[in-house]
Amino acid sequence: MAFWFVRGLRRGIATTRYPEKIDSWALALPSPPAFHSARLTTGLVDRLARNCAADAVTREGHELVIDLGRCTGCGRCVELSDGAARPSGEFLLASSDRGALVKRVPIRGDQAR
Amino acid sequence: MTAPDMAISDELGGLSGELRRRALGVFGRSLHIRTVDTGSCAVCESEIRLLAAPHYDLHRLGFFFTPTPRHADLLMVTGPAVRAADNLLLKAYDATPDPKAVIAVGACALGGVYSEDELTHGAVDRVVPVDVFVPGCPPSPLALLQGLLVAVGRLEERVGALSLDLDSGGAR
Repeated sequence: MAFWFVRGLRRGIATTRYPEKIDSWALALPSPPAFHSARLTTGLVDRLARNCAADAVTREGHELVIDLGRCTGCGRCVELSDGAARPSGEFLLASSDRGALVKRVPIRGDQAR
Repeated sequence: MTAPDMAISDELGGLSGELRRRALGVFGRSLHIRTVDTGSCAVCESEIRLLAAPHYDLHRLGFFFTPTPRHADLLMVTGPAVRAADNLLLKAYDATPDPKAVIAVGACALGGVYSEDELTHGAVDRVVPVDVFVPGCPPSPLALLQGLLVAVGRLEERVGALSLDLDSGGAR
């Protein structure tokens, strides 16, 4: 049972504590992926880019580039990544700079092989 | 541009920045929001409406929804900016008194999902200037609250320092 519901019954106040504190349940909301750079290979990143419905994932040389503005958090890349990606749990992503939403992750898996 | 022109331009830029900071300071106490749908699937609107529900209660933070852009300080724009909605978006933007702020809400409004073609601009900032971008499909009410608080300068942005490389200590 959600903690805020219990708190509401006990104290009569069910309002979220955000922005002082993030509700714990919110961390389970759909979120953009985070990546294990050591497990990323150029082949895998190309596969992720081909399968990204929102064109949020691309490859630039030895970097995976993800545009958080475009990402819908659908989880398709997480499913296809063989453990190289998982939901980041980050959802407080508001930015006044559109460019700040474009993130780069180095591809280190090729060097390990 | 001559050197004196550039000096005047710099000075105006500085004054404009100062004016904006002061306006945001005023917004920080109370702010009225008008939503504009430019072709969204309505899930972003559903999340925006939840902001007024008891659990999120955005009124405690001094934010209110208003039915007309003429009473608004801030526009929350959803959808991929379909060209058929150009008129309504530009009219709403022009009708909002200065100083005003625009928040682009959701992946569609930020350029995901729909590309630019003869039916849609593909992103809201191709039609009107955007002050804050809130990603998500849809963004949760907490993400929207953060966007509002960032827009009025009451919260610092977090995404600039965010790393998505788990092997370098990124993400949660």
